[in-house]
Amino acid sequence: MTYPVLTTITFLPLAGAALILLAGRDRLARWFALAATLATLAVSAPLYLYFDKASSDLQFVESRTWIPSWNIAYGMGVDGISLPFIFLATLLTVLCIGASWTAVRTRVREFYAALLVAETAMIGLFAASNLFLFFIFWELMLIPVFLLIGVWGGPGRVYAAVKFLIFTLSGSVLMLVGMIAIYRTCGTLDFKALALARDTLSPSQQAWLFAAFLAAFAVKVPMLPLHTWLPNAHTEAPTAGSVILAGILLKMGAYGFLRVSLPLLPHGVQLFLKPMLVISVAAIVYGAYVTLVQTDVKRLIAFSSVSHMGFVTLGIFTLNRSGVEGAILQMINHGIISAALFLCVGMIYERTHTREISDYGGVAKTAPVYSTLLALFCLAAAGTPGLNSFVGEFLIIGSAFRTQAWLGALAVWGVALGTTYLIWLYYRVVMGEMNPSLVGLKLELNSREMATLAPLAVLAICLGLHPEYLLSYLHVPVANLLASGVAP
Amino acid sequence: MMSDLILVVPELILVGMSLVLLLAARRIQGTRVAAFGTVLAAVAAVLGSSWVLSLGAKTGFGGIITLDNYTQFFNVLIAATLALATLLSVKSLEGIPRAEYHALLLLAATGMMIAVSAFDLLVLYLGLELMTLCSYILVGIRVDNPTSNEAALKYFLLGSFASALLIYGISLTYGVTGTTSFATIASTLSGHEAGSNVLLLVAMGLVAAGLAFKIAAVPLHSWAPDAYQGASAPIAAFLAAGSKAVGLAALGRVCLAAYHSEAQALSVVLTGLAGLSIIVGSVIALSQTDMKRMLAYSSISHAGYALLGLIAGTSEGVSAMMTYVFFYVFMTLGTFGIVVALGDRGESVEGYRGLAAQRPGTAMLMLVFLMSLTGIPPTAGFAAKFVVILSVVRGGHIGLAILAVACSVVSAFFYMRVAVNMYMNEAQEPAPSHFPKAVFAALAVAALVTLIGGITPGSLALWAVSP
Repeated sequence: MTYPVLTTITFLPLAGAALILLAGRDRLARWFALAATLATLAVSAPLYLYFDKASSDLQFVESRTWIPSWNIAYGMGVDGISLPFIFLATLLTVLCIGASWTAVRTRVREFYAALLVAETAMIGLFAASNLFLFFIFWELMLIPVFLLIGVWGGPGRVYAAVKFLIFTLSGSVLMLVGMIAIYRTCGTLDFKALALARDTLSPSQQAWLFAAFLAAFAVKVPMLPLHTWLPNAHTEAPTAGSVILAGILLKMGAYGFLRVSLPLLPHGVQLFLKPMLVISVAAIVYGAYVTLVQTDVKRLIAFSSVSHMGFVTLGIFTLNRSGVEGAILQMINHGIISAALFLCVGMIYERTHTREISDYGGVAKTAPVYSTLLALFCLAAAGTPGLNSFVGEFLIIGSAFRTQAWLGALAVWGVALGTTYLIWLYYRVVMGEMNPSLVGLKLELNSREMATLAPLAVLAICLGLHPEYLLSYLHVPVANLLASGVAP
Repeated sequence: MMSDLILVVPELILVGMSLVLLLAARRIQGTRVAAFGTVLAAVAAVLGSSWVLSLGAKTGFGGIITLDNYTQFFNVLIAATLALATLLSVKSLEGIPRAEYHALLLLAATGMMIAVSAFDLLVLYLGLELMTLCSYILVGIRVDNPTSNEAALKYFLLGSFASALLIYGISLTYGVTGTTSFATIASTLSGHEAGSNVLLLVAMGLVAAGLAFKIAAVPLHSWAPDAYQGASAPIAAFLAAGSKAVGLAALGRVCLAAYHSEAQALSVVLTGLAGLSIIVGSVIALSQTDMKRMLAYSSISHAGYALLGLIAGTSEGVSAMMTYVFFYVFMTLGTFGIVVALGDRGESVEGYRGLAAQRPGTAMLMLVFLMSLTGIPPTAGFAAKFVVILSVVRGGHIGLAILAVACSVVSAFFYMRVAVNMYMNEAQEPAPSHFPKAVFAALAVAALVTLIGGITPGSLALWAVSP
């Protein structure tokens, strides 16, 4: 490589956002945005071509002096854990633009600019190799998503946006104090240096620090009982906002556990292990039951995320290899599937302008392609063998059984409930008699929308049939993570 | 004596310009000469102060005036406040005698500079009085406006009371130590056992109270909301930025140079002031509907954050305070700048409804300033918050750190209410007219400092060094 890949892909979208704001023409905005995101995707190619799967170190490392007086450098780098998320973030943003092409009609320039700033934050977060930079990108995500929800969202958008902002900010300010406390004790914020210096943190300090970081991560994941911002935010956000929220933002919290809590605070993890497992299982089962009774399509998918993210945290805190690998795989899977489901809902909403399940029915009669794709994604979300979620859930549940049998049993119950609400949703929306209010509407997807969904469908099938493609990135770093002392 | 005079070159430049303006008052009343001259004087004062410092830091006039790095830092800040406030004033000068207005601004800035270079309690007092006397008039300068008059009167009464506290504290200090010079106070006190002399503790408390009034720290904050609301927006900005910076500079100097042996007692007082200011400022701001009043309460809580740096009583803490003040001054001037730019509409929180659709650029600038005030990266407000909280954590006050960040979430509520109005509500008023170039220039400077400070948070570290 002759260019700093990570810095380029992080700041290319930001440059695109600046260009869009300065260009001054609404018609050009979406083309500029598409070009910027596609360019980002293209420029990131060397990451996948030259990545060394056998190494657990950070790769494509960049380091420059940034704040010498505080001993904080500008550091970027990826390992097998963060790389898939960068791919997901770059891909989903492209699809978001495809989904917003005709859906966003007001203040177009600002919309695409906000979306691109959010992309910078997402990529930067996963590429950061020190805690300070991680925090900066974590917070940078706040305002664009706040605007995406609040400006272009549904009827309850302002409430949802403010709730989102206050919840996330409350968590992240505690992370700020935690970060400062770590900095004060260890004198550095570089992840690698911290892993070596972590023994200077006493067990009780680690417990407090874990709690401080938990506040930030648990809000983002979200874990019970801090999930209440999620249904509002996901439901009211425009399609692109929901995709970003469900696809990437929720993963930021879980990624935080993997990047900060597990490697740096092993004593804290041990202390909080039991509660974490219990909360995760509770989220799986409670989330699934709440999902069952939803009458609003978007709200239903939003609540299903609570349940699905429960699997992720369950997998992480089983602290064994297959559990953690399954959790990461499941994060990517959920990113693909929930994004696809939100896209599907958004596409049909554009035609019908209703999100109530009872207003649908018999969609398959006029929209066979749409119905087929929706079936694929619903089955994938339900964990059908051969599609991507199956592998992740299988790995997680397997290691949950090894940790505590009842955890596994409850998780299986969650899967069963998941199948129920997804199939039932599909049944009510797509099958049966055509709802009279839908007659005469042109429900079938156009080619732009098919092109938007196609990559996700391909990924769902490929990762289902050959999960090793993704898992091969995870083996070495996860083994290294667990061997570094956090596993019992 | 002549060689001592170069220590007050910046002050002399400002006084000189104010005299020139007053002499030429009748000729320049309708023109922009006064504004131009004031900005010129501010720039010249900075250059003069840098030139003097390049000859070496030193103390003069028998040890009552000093020009060191610390003085220079605040001189720059005061000059910047003066220049930006002058630029912002361009729009709101109708019916106000221009030359006198600018002369008062210059004299207030002179007082500020004297206060930050004072190395003697009495000189400090004189500098602060010069600043406050000019401020009283500036707040009430819109003579036909009843709120303006009321604000000036309130400010004057409470200000006089605070000055009395300060001078009483100074006289008690003189009684205990027999001197008012910082250096001699420190050397006299170094023999004492800390906390043994009750009279000294009372004296310190009174001095701290007098200075707390200048920075509007709770419980001596009650003048600020009225004064800011009654004053024109540029003057409110001048007070919020300048008066606060000077009060904090003086407090930092007094804590480190004069009363350092009593650091423990001082830190208790400062902890109380800081904690109360942060809580009261951010909670009461929640219910404000007047923009300037809201910013007044926000500035009260920011005073609390800046005080956090002084609690530790270390030079590291003082440089954290300096960093905080520096960034605070620019983001506050920027926010008030938007208020000025929007005219009547900018005065109420509801006036911001729909601004983003009508004036996207202005709205985005405001968003940056609001993010900075909340402390969200990548803005200077985050860097500022980071350093003061770091200094609090270093001092071992984790609880105070958590209180501070919790209140910053509360403050997000009212700052973001403005953002919600700008971006998420429909406009009810016609788009504001375009604002003059001078206002734009001031906003650009403030925004640049706010953004650059956020992107390179350590940029001040080499410069914001305590004495």
